[in-house]
Amino acid sequence: MASFIIRRLGQALVVLLVMSMLVFAGVFVIGNPVDVLISPDATQEIRRQVIAQYGLDLPLWDQYLHFLRRLLSGDLGTSFVFNMQVGTLIAQKLPATLELTLIAVLFASAVGVPLGIYAGYRPDSIAARVIMAVSVLGFSVPTFWIGLMLIMVFAVQLGILPAGGRGETRTLFGVPFSFLTADGWAHLILPALNLSLFKMSMMCRLAASGTREVMLTDTIKFARAAGISEATILRRHVLKLISIPLVTVFGLELGSTLAFALVTETIFSWPGLGKLIVDSITSLDRPVMVAYLMLVSALFVVINLCVDLAYVVLDPRLRHGRR
Amino acid sequence: MTHLLNVRDLRTWFHTDRGIVRSVDGISFTLERGEVMGLVGESGSGKSITGFSLIGLIDRPGRIEDGSSIRFDGRELVGMEERQLRRIRGKDISMVFQDPMMTLNPVVKIIDQIGMAIRAHEPASDAEVRRRAVEALARVRIVDPAHKVDQYPHEFSGGMRQRVAIAIALLHRPRLVIADEPTTALDVSVQAEILKEVKSLVAEMGTSLIWISHDLATVSSIADSIAVMRRGKIVEAGPVRRVLETPEHPYTQGLLDALPSRSRPGELLASNATEAAGKMDFSGLGGAAIGAPPDPAFVEARGVDKIFLAQAGALRRFAIRCGLARPPVPVRAVSSASLTIARGEILGLVGESGSGKSTLGRILCGITPPTDGRVTVGGAPVMDGNRKHGTKVQMIFQDPFASLDPRRTIFQSVAEGPVVHGFCTRGEARAYVDRWLRAVAFDPALADRYPHQFSGGQRQRIAIARALAMQPEVIICDEPVASLDVSIQAQVINLLMELRRHLNLTLLFISHDLSVVHHLCDRVIVMRHGEIIEEGSAAQIFGAPKEAYTRMLLEAIPRPGFDIARVPGI
Amino acid sequence: MSEARPLQSVSPLAAFWRDFRRNRVAVVALAVVVAIILLAVFAPFVVPQDPYDLKSLVLRDARRPPGYVGRDGMLHLLGTDSQGRDLLSAIVYGLRISLEMGLMAGAIAFAIGAVVGCSAAYLGGRIEALIMRIVDVQLSFPAILLAFVVAAILGQGKGQLILALVFAQYAYFVRTAHGAAAAERQKDYVQAALSVPMGGWFVITRHILPNSLPPLIVVATVQVASAISLEATLSFLGVGLPATEPSLGMLIANGFQYLMSGRYWIAIYPGVALIVLIMAINLTGDQIRDQLNPRLRK
Repeated sequence: MASFIIRRLGQALVVLLVMSMLVFAGVFVIGNPVDVLISPDATQEIRRQVIAQYGLDLPLWDQYLHFLRRLLSGDLGTSFVFNMQVGTLIAQKLPATLELTLIAVLFASAVGVPLGIYAGYRPDSIAARVIMAVSVLGFSVPTFWIGLMLIMVFAVQLGILPAGGRGETRTLFGVPFSFLTADGWAHLILPALNLSLFKMSMMCRLAASGTREVMLTDTIKFARAAGISEATILRRHVLKLISIPLVTVFGLELGSTLAFALVTETIFSWPGLGKLIVDSITSLDRPVMVAYLMLVSALFVVINLCVDLAYVVLDPRLRHGRR
Repeated sequence: MTHLLNVRDLRTWFHTDRGIVRSVDGISFTLERGEVMGLVGESGSGKSITGFSLIGLIDRPGRIEDGSSIRFDGRELVGMEERQLRRIRGKDISMVFQDPMMTLNPVVKIIDQIGMAIRAHEPASDAEVRRRAVEALARVRIVDPAHKVDQYPHEFSGGMRQRVAIAIALLHRPRLVIADEPTTALDVSVQAEILKEVKSLVAEMGTSLIWISHDLATVSSIADSIAVMRRGKIVEAGPVRRVLETPEHPYTQGLLDALPSRSRPGELLASNATEAAGKMDFSGLGGAAIGAPPDPAFVEARGVDKIFLAQAGALRRFAIRCGLARPPVPVRAVSSASLTIARGEILGLVGESGSGKSTLGRILCGITPPTDGRVTVGGAPVMDGNRKHGTKVQMIFQDPFASLDPRRTIFQSVAEGPVVHGFCTRGEARAYVDRWLRAVAFDPALADRYPHQFSGGQRQRIAIARALAMQPEVIICDEPVASLDVSIQAQVINLLMELRRHLNLTLLFISHDLSVVHHLCDRVIVMRHGEIIEEGSAAQIFGAPKEAYTRMLLEAIPRPGFDIARVPGI
Repeated sequence: MSEARPLQSVSPLAAFWRDFRRNRVAVVALAVVVAIILLAVFAPFVVPQDPYDLKSLVLRDARRPPGYVGRDGMLHLLGTDSQGRDLLSAIVYGLRISLEMGLMAGAIAFAIGAVVGCSAAYLGGRIEALIMRIVDVQLSFPAILLAFVVAAILGQGKGQLILALVFAQYAYFVRTAHGAAAAERQKDYVQAALSVPMGGWFVITRHILPNSLPPLIVVATVQVASAISLEATLSFLGVGLPATEPSLGMLIANGFQYLMSGRYWIAIYPGVALIVLIMAINLTGDQIRDQLNPRLRK
């Protein structure tokens, strides 16, 4: 058990190291960083100064070490566009994205999983067929298009919900959040719904197919032969058995929702990380790109680590060292 | 007094897209209190569906048809409301399933699984549940039950899991237990123990038992009465002794005749399937071994070791070096095994699961390289480094459903080896393959069909033809009859004996089934935990085994309470 | 008792089709996919207007609602876009580009996945461990992010976009092919072929690969559908195709700005076309997957 966690932590570090190399290669080696760091009208003297300052005259591996050292010390550079420390910039935008993502994923799970279990439990019922049909639809419709439709219906046609922005926020632990005010909720609901529909379909389909398979196993047949009620079977057997694949997907989807947030945030002008990265890519704001990619990598590594730990809790076979 | 169970005209049909499948088609029987009935039949006979019908667990599209009647203790179960049925299930009628690896929930503790079964029928406090769970495990002879109840199923062996399942089935002292092939998935020795225990438990509780099995020998050792099923109908029923001694139906007779334990070793078995398949045609076959001089050590293995070592990744190896992680534990599958097989001999290799017999077979065939030691056939090594050398040794596998490529026709499967290795040209392949198919009594006109269109017995014959077409001198048979019904099993055994005689083949026959080995083999080797522990002629091993383990295996062979082999007229 | 003799040779594919036909929804979905592919291939002969032909565009016909009859007497069934293009024609050409991107990316990722995955499973050992580790790490990052970053780095263009899509998706194919091939490799028929002995390449190409195809095909349906959706998303975000290649995503992006002013059709109809295509592919894939799932069989 302890060795399992240590091993996972070690792997996580390796992944992060590899990611830093890839990001370094992707952002600094492709294209000339000098052009990016120095304005074209700078003098030769300033040019040389900056080159020396950023160590661009050093061999590649040395440059990478510099990059790594700055990364570790938290110095992520200065945004060209916003002209402020990237670290501060990201710290400002991160809460909005986390708020949106978490609400979307929780909503998707809370609605998708029960529907999916029902559809898998009674696959031939009409309700199940409707659930599955809707989930295929939700699975197929691109997120950005749903976003447009939500804006058109609720903001333009009905005019009951705002089309963008974060609304009024209230501070909690020194961080502004929308979900603490009514106006914030009004602004939150459309983007969160938009972001969660795809995930909801995913979770629903997964829960449905998992339940359907589990219901056909001898484990369930044996429980029925013992006279155990259907409610107990669903709660104590089925839910436990399908929770393992569900947790994996929950973790993966949390990450993927974080990424998909860039689409939703663009459409709803949600001032979060996703919008920041889209803007920084279009304006070639490389320090922001690097910081974003490293941050997202770190988040994914953490999420995957949590999923692995959740496995250990959920699956006794792993807990006893049988892999 | 009424019967405990009175089944009249039970019909369970499956209404599938492709029409109605009459799995159980009008069977009737009665069962008295305390009676043990054996329900016997080959695969697809409807015996398991009968069991599930009795307990009311037929999945769609299956349905118990109108007009069927199952009276249990005076109450009609057919058409009973689900809520009432559930009150009977587990309390009055319970069931034990075939595969103990699949029945228990892997992520729920044993005590919780037992607790759910208890509370399904009566309220019980946590302390009460614990007390009864420990008691239930003790009843099925699980050592240290007070500690074991808090474990998960994967911490139990297959036999122990089946005991837990039996303990759950007996929790409420039901009046009827339905056991669906409960020992089939277990090793012989475990099988024998469980059989004995169930027998004494039901006798002690006065519970009636329906024991469903494909194995006449097992059933006859436990049952009072027997019902033989075939294609959804009971063809013969009666007291076990009467049915086995003077079977009235030709099908029952055929099943009995096909049992190797009832014939003299080395004789061809009576088999309907053999007759149905037609004659084997050995004309025009080539074979490298025909007329070869005798060689007492034609196949020779010296000091063969096989150690499986889990691969460690770079990070793991680094951690091991720093002492943070333990190095992977090597698994010794075979250790210093040495054996010889004379040309033309059939050597039996016997052992329970995990004994290393299959690994040794694969090493002899040249599929798996040994960690140490060497294997030669006719003086030449079988492997050259990690590559197999030559085609003298071929292999037949256990599962006929897995041993043929589902995407290639029979002809393609049989022809690919001979063409690549130059036994025939692409142009001659058709005629060449036909000859070998005829040798295993398979109609060459069907060679363009795909494996899924054939039965298990047919596929196993095709697999044999594929091995033969490489004109081998040695064939390794890895449990080739283990997954076949008795009559088909007899057919394949007959085929192997005939082929040996005509083609002077040398066979290594790997099996856990001692009665088949006794019938077929000249010499026998017994393996346990990767080591060869006993070796001798078949007569020696079966007549006067030296090792205690061998004796235990022999005693575990299920036998009826009386000696059917000596019944006159059979 | 005589042995059951099948009358005809039924290939596994034929048996599969026999079962597939039973699900009417899936048959309709498959028909829609085929129809859309045909429509895309023969687009120039089907649509009323060539949307690339700038001469035929009349600016005064721009942003007209569905059913509008243009100055040249042409009926615009779905209305016109901001440049006066017939929306129906633009959608059919958009489908053509979307399908092309999805199928190209899917085919390349499929090929990479099949070869790398099967080889890894066959070879085993260190190489297998290394390949699968890379794939696992990549799979923990969402496809949209990978595609977005790669597309942003490579810049706009058809080739670049296909590369970005392949990069985002190949890992799914590798893992599926590896899983299937590793399972097949353990099966007795592969062991039987190895025991003959047959060469490694022969066993991979004749036995392992063909039997690993079904799960790969299921993944392919999902991935082609998602590639089409991804392409639309990237184009919508402005990192996908250039304006000279108006895919469905681009049409929707162009319509976005008119949505607020009530000119809904410019964004909606291309979206509907996109959804019909993606959904038809997904429904077809669903049926294939259910049919191949051994755990749902009795």
